[in-house]
Amino acid sequence: MADASIEFKGSSFTLSVLHLKTSVLADIRADLTHKVAQAPDFFYRVPVVVNVEKINDSINYQGIKTLIEEFDFTFVGFTGVIAKAQRQLIRDLGYSFVNTAKANTATKAKMSKEAVVAKTESVAVTTQRHLYTDKIHRGPVRSGQQVYAKEQNLVIIGSVSAGAEVIADGNIHVYGSLRGRAIAGATGHHSAQIYCQNLQAELVSINGNYWLSESMEQHWDSPVYIHLTDNELTSSKLI
Amino acid sequence: MARIIVVTSGKGGVGKTTSSAAIGLGLALKGHKVVLIDFDIGLRNLDLIMGCERRVVYDFVNVINGEATLNQALIKDKRVSSLSILPASQTRDKDALNKENVGKVLDDLGKLYDFIICDSPAGIEAGAMMALYYADEAIVTTNPEVSSVRDSDRILGMLASRSRRAELGLEPIKEHLLLTRYCPKRVAEGEMLSVEDVEDILSIPLLGVIPESQSVLKASNAGEPVILDTDSDAGQAYQDVIDRLLGETIEFRFLLAEKKGIFSRMFGG
Repeated sequence: MADASIEFKGSSFTLSVLHLKTSVLADIRADLTHKVAQAPDFFYRVPVVVNVEKINDSINYQGIKTLIEEFDFTFVGFTGVIAKAQRQLIRDLGYSFVNTAKANTATKAKMSKEAVVAKTESVAVTTQRHLYTDKIHRGPVRSGQQVYAKEQNLVIIGSVSAGAEVIADGNIHVYGSLRGRAIAGATGHHSAQIYCQNLQAELVSINGNYWLSESMEQHWDSPVYIHLTDNELTSSKLI
Repeated sequence: MARIIVVTSGKGGVGKTTSSAAIGLGLALKGHKVVLIDFDIGLRNLDLIMGCERRVVYDFVNVINGEATLNQALIKDKRVSSLSILPASQTRDKDALNKENVGKVLDDLGKLYDFIICDSPAGIEAGAMMALYYADEAIVTTNPEVSSVRDSDRILGMLASRSRRAELGLEPIKEHLLLTRYCPKRVAEGEMLSVEDVEDILSIPLLGVIPESQSVLKASNAGEPVILDTDSDAGQAYQDVIDRLLGETIEFRFLLAEKKGIFSRMFGG
């Protein structure tokens, strides 16, 4: 076989998208400095796509890319619902243009939403992981029950019984004993975490990395949070 | 309005029918009008435990199908006149029941009685769902062992999601934990889950703890609910359950292993 050593496959990733509302580099620099200072570790080497659809005047693509890289982001490309000629210009400059999965089908919806978003956003940077709201489940999750927080964090006020399953695209908090299965970052979210007051779980999983009970001995029967460092699950005591 | 109480467990053989019989008779002895319904269509047992198996002419399924009236099917208990039993059919299966007709029968019974005790079949299939669907309260019968506790947990999930109260968004079913076949000696030796363990896992209020007792088997075979055996610890524990169901606060008994005295040791008592 000619291509035995390599294989191309499509895959989806969660990328941070930087929405620009101005092309004035000095303004962008000021806001970015402020934002990055809040969480320098979080932003370090984070892959970033720059959305330019809100800027109407001519854009200094070269300048934007240099600026982004100055802040230690990993520049991926440009995105947004923009004219074909503009897209071609980006490609001619040697940068990639990234299509959003929703861009074609949801263009109209996006356009109408923009007006609202533009008003509510006071800073230029948004990252998807900050958008998760909380789904709150009061009472125990019993054996055989399944609770899924789609595109949300999941808060359980009660215990999760053996044989029950709690799943969230974001974080999972259990204010009780976790005896069943907990799956956080279910659709791919590397920094999702699982918190519980008492760890006796059958299985915990974050972003596809999982532990069975036997791997939890270190913090068994104690208050714990579980997170990913590199691609390894780690548990730490809460108190 | 009658209180509809389902006695359920998920797992079989934990003491649902024994408890239904004892609780039904106990409430009736306190002067309440009680009807016991056997939902275990095809495996009817309640009439045996109640000692009225020879008096069954019509059954629950006959009533559901309109082949008999409620009055024809209800069997009046010979010991306590305020207690009736609606037996299950032995020749049909659990598909013979449907929600609408069961609801109608319960409605009619509700006008005549203070308590309707539904003895659920084991499992989580249609029969068990039917028994719990209309319940106001549930007595979750559990043995102190892991598989029974797990099944009870599953049933508690069903009570919270598949009952009429859940479907209509009414106040949820009031749940009670009834721990049966409890053996303090084996708990002390670490062979059996303790009351605290089970309460911790299921997190519902404890209604009673019935100690493992020879008198239960004897009572079942004789068709005399164990609550009539006032000398036995199991009979006394069921009596406490009745008082708690009626709103009294009673201290839990039979939770600790009896220390053998010098005499019983000497004479092997």
